[in-house]
Amino acid sequence: MIHYRKDTDKIATLILDMTGRAGNLLNHQIVAAFAPVIEHLKKEKAAGELNGVIITSAKQDFLESGDLDYLYRLEDPARAFEAAEQLKQFLRDLEVPGVPVAAAINGDALGTGFELTLACHYRVAIADSKLRLGHPEVKIGLIPSGGAIIRLMWLLGIERAYPLLLEGRRYSPQEAHKVGLIDALADNREDMLAKAKAWLLANHEVARPWDDPNGSIPGGTAADPNLGHRIRLLTARLSAHTNDLYPAKRAIIDLLAEASKLDFATAYRLDSRYYARVATNPVTKNMISTFWFDKQAVRSGVGRPKGFGKFRARKVGIIGAGQMGSGIAFLCLRNGLQVVLKDVSQPIAARGKEYVGAKIDEYIERGTFQPTDRPLLLERVATTNLSDQFAECDIVVEAVFENKSVKTKVTREAEQHLDEYSVFATNTLSIPITELGKESVRPANYVGLHFFSPAEKTAVVEVVVGEQTSQETVARAFDFAISIRKLPIVVKDSWGFFAARVLNTYILEGITMLREGYSAALIENMGRQAGMKSGPLALADELGLKLVLRYEQQAAEHYGQRYTQHPAVPALTLLRDDLERTGRSKRLGFYDYSPDGSARLWSGLADHFPVTKDSYDRMRMKDRFLFAQVIEAGWCLQEEVIEHLEAANLASVYGWGFPGYTGGVMRYLYSYGQQAFIDRCAELRERYGQRFTVPKYLRQLSMERLQPQSS
Amino acid sequence: MPTEAFIYDALRSPRGRGVPPAHLYEVKPIELLAQCLTAFQRRSGREDLPTEVDDLIIGCNTPAGDQGYNIARAALLYAGWGQARGGLQINRFNTSGLEAINLAAARINAGYGAVILAGGLEVMSRVPTYLNSGPMMNDPATVINSHYIPQGVAADLVASTHGLTQAVLDAYALRSHAKAVAAKEAGYFAPSLEPIMDQNGLTILAEDALPNPELTAEQLAALPPRFAEMGLAGFDEMALHRFPLVDHVGHDHTTGNTSAPADGCALCLLGNRTAGERLGLRARARIRAVAMSAVDATLLTGGVNASDLVLKQAGLARGDVDLWEFNESFAAPSIRFQQRLDIAEDRFNVLGGSIALGEPLGAVGGMMLCQILDELERRDLTIGSLTIDAGAGLAVSTIIERL
Repeated sequence: MIHYRKDTDKIATLILDMTGRAGNLLNHQIVAAFAPVIEHLKKEKAAGELNGVIITSAKQDFLESGDLDYLYRLEDPARAFEAAEQLKQFLRDLEVPGVPVAAAINGDALGTGFELTLACHYRVAIADSKLRLGHPEVKIGLIPSGGAIIRLMWLLGIERAYPLLLEGRRYSPQEAHKVGLIDALADNREDMLAKAKAWLLANHEVARPWDDPNGSIPGGTAADPNLGHRIRLLTARLSAHTNDLYPAKRAIIDLLAEASKLDFATAYRLDSRYYARVATNPVTKNMISTFWFDKQAVRSGVGRPKGFGKFRARKVGIIGAGQMGSGIAFLCLRNGLQVVLKDVSQPIAARGKEYVGAKIDEYIERGTFQPTDRPLLLERVATTNLSDQFAECDIVVEAVFENKSVKTKVTREAEQHLDEYSVFATNTLSIPITELGKESVRPANYVGLHFFSPAEKTAVVEVVVGEQTSQETVARAFDFAISIRKLPIVVKDSWGFFAARVLNTYILEGITMLREGYSAALIENMGRQAGMKSGPLALADELGLKLVLRYEQQAAEHYGQRYTQHPAVPALTLLRDDLERTGRSKRLGFYDYSPDGSARLWSGLADHFPVTKDSYDRMRMKDRFLFAQVIEAGWCLQEEVIEHLEAANLASVYGWGFPGYTGGVMRYLYSYGQQAFIDRCAELRERYGQRFTVPKYLRQLSMERLQPQSS
Repeated sequence: MPTEAFIYDALRSPRGRGVPPAHLYEVKPIELLAQCLTAFQRRSGREDLPTEVDDLIIGCNTPAGDQGYNIARAALLYAGWGQARGGLQINRFNTSGLEAINLAAARINAGYGAVILAGGLEVMSRVPTYLNSGPMMNDPATVINSHYIPQGVAADLVASTHGLTQAVLDAYALRSHAKAVAAKEAGYFAPSLEPIMDQNGLTILAEDALPNPELTAEQLAALPPRFAEMGLAGFDEMALHRFPLVDHVGHDHTTGNTSAPADGCALCLLGNRTAGERLGLRARARIRAVAMSAVDATLLTGGVNASDLVLKQAGLARGDVDLWEFNESFAAPSIRFQQRLDIAEDRFNVLGGSIALGEPLGAVGGMMLCQILDELERRDLTIGSLTIDAGAGLAVSTIIERL
């Protein structure tokens, strides 16, 4: 369990090596195993036989994050409080007695895994850029339970600790060093242990700053007027960005402000109280379900056709060296692949490589890459205007602009040089894959790969299956997406595929409200307050009104006789045809766009859509916005446009900005309550029409399926 | 029913600039207050006034540091008024001074005190507002739950909601300055004004320092937004959360069309009828009614409610009011107050307002009372209305009636 070793300099090394599992987990077992070890260390220290302790791990990870299965099911705040207090007591036992402890971080240490290192007096990590460190709890709606918020506040001050906790980024060791999470970087394991030992030999008497009677929080407390003012601004920003829908984020700022004014022991206990409330909050359960369990499910192959060997792309061809193409190229380089970047001329292709370089520079700035990485990454990308360079590519991704004949042309050129196994993927957002695939000489190998913009930052891609796409090609596209660390969402070739099809219903609902006499400002504000990233009218402009209408026309063609025209359509045609306000690209849409990029709602809207409603029902507007999307996702599941609930949730939160606090478009049904949802839809249908009819799939769906399965 | 609280006198220091170089910065706040106390002795001809005083109530927006620890009691002892009873410091933001007067009136009416000095003190150049911070300023949970946004952003919200552009706000500010400059030159402020002296009796400040006779529309138009930074930090979005019918918060308030920080002290000698007779003082006016109101914490429009309430309390109609004083913290709420109550220009802030004169927060209510009382007397009019909007939705209103 814990290997103990002591050298001639009286430095003890504790090597965590839990039996019977792949990684180390900070659980009852290891805490129990630690107790006698700590007692022994105290005795040795008292006898002058110990200069310090190094804690490291024999596993690939230093320490795993917490047990999410347990956490998801934890509903009693008293138990959550107790668990947090126990972990905290253990960490105190380690840091208080005056035995200097150094954490030698040889592998990932995230969440609870990082808590242990924060209770050590010194942290050194191997500078391996694949390692991940920090506190990403907030991403699944949680806050740390072992007092990391309090310790980081004391170590870094409120203003430096806050972004680490609020953003929940998983830092590389280099980045972690830059932001202050760790004290030193080491070249390799030997160097790491040497550095830990050197520090211990130089520091015999240690006390944490919070245990030092003269210690103080760097930068001061919330009671300090300047910092208090900063906290007020940070609070406003948080409130503006989250609409107060995320309990964990609120808890972080509340706790930092409040705890800064208290003594450590009281702050430490208060932290457990906040933790207990956040951990048992339904929003947290939604977020754990989607951002942890659904993600794990898709990563481990949910949605991937079975029975095909793993596809390992080594060399990737990319056609189109614009923002999208260079974004995809960057992703490939970052994940160790070779890239051939092609455009119509060599200079244009070279400019794409410059875009890639600029992205690398961004990440160097953040500390993700070192300046020395730049040439190593860029030497793996070749630029060309000739398709024959694709001969050795395992997959070619086309990212030219949305024009069928251009896409057909580049496909055919590339296919001349592709063998029968390689995959050809098209990145389109509106042209049906089946239609494009017909022009391909190898339609079975032809698949849609819809990257969202910006490609390097959005966590999902849609793998779009055309009528002739083979299951093997789907599996390969899926594996390729995983290899560049994207979550593949396998969808059928519907209008707008899955994400854009569902998002369109939100846009149409907003436009319908405009026709009903609600003010545009109200519609936009209520959309954002429901948790959507943008208002529906802003999104319509962003996509372009032509595309919004085209999707709806495709829906009409699909349903034929059964189609009922959406009430938003006349408003859209008015804007598109009569007013020629087609969206952002023309700088005229529901908004007016200035050349400087700022936008204001068009003042003429009220002439065409007079504001007649003098009151509004916040809840009902919010429900209409979210329900429209849940229902459309329901039709997609019923029509097998998408198969898996996990994928639907992930596509919604990552792909089109469905509010994360809900856990996604399907999990929302669970948290709202299936029967309550059905009843509310009946009311909305009565008022607004048949688009609020609940698909049979949603009525019959077992809510068990929206709960993570016990592992 | 009219109260039995009479105003026997009212006086004030000049208003000095509240930021460096500040005219009254060198004067300790307690000294400022003590000089005002002593002035009552001189003006009433009663050296024994302290023995008659049942309480001194001082409103102060920032009761901390040099004006903290119950500055009212401290000032009585400092000024050699040890025989005076009481000493009370209160805080209802910038309405504090007016609230102190209202509280004194209510006390006298209830028989708890026969002679009470009440008013406000604020030396912003010495005691900046941030020294009295609190949960609304630095506790995230309170900031979020209360939807309390900086008053400047709230004022910008009012301007945006009603389409008041910077040009409109600036025009209002120019009028405020023109009125204040004219009143100052004509000596209309003189009856209440008490110059502030140094220890040798040399004058430090004798007149209001801030009205600007040379101000132009062009100068005002060139000023940058005052609250854009706060708004863009997230408070605009918080405001829209509360008021989703607004599409956008513009930032049209500048340092030119909002009140400047100022220093000063203003007090009022209140008492019941018997006390006046005993001291041989003639009542100049009475407090006819008082009221306080609170609306949504995001907004700055409680003044209309408070004003309606106080009129109802007084049994008066809007048309009965001869002169209106409204505290001009920001131009937009002032314009809205005048518009909503449909007040004629020749009855509204006839001596200018805080935009021109500066706003010593806790003291401004007492300042307004001094000015309106002098002006009612000069014009031989009867009913005066005073209203102050404050942070977090609060507003206080008072009706005085000249006798």
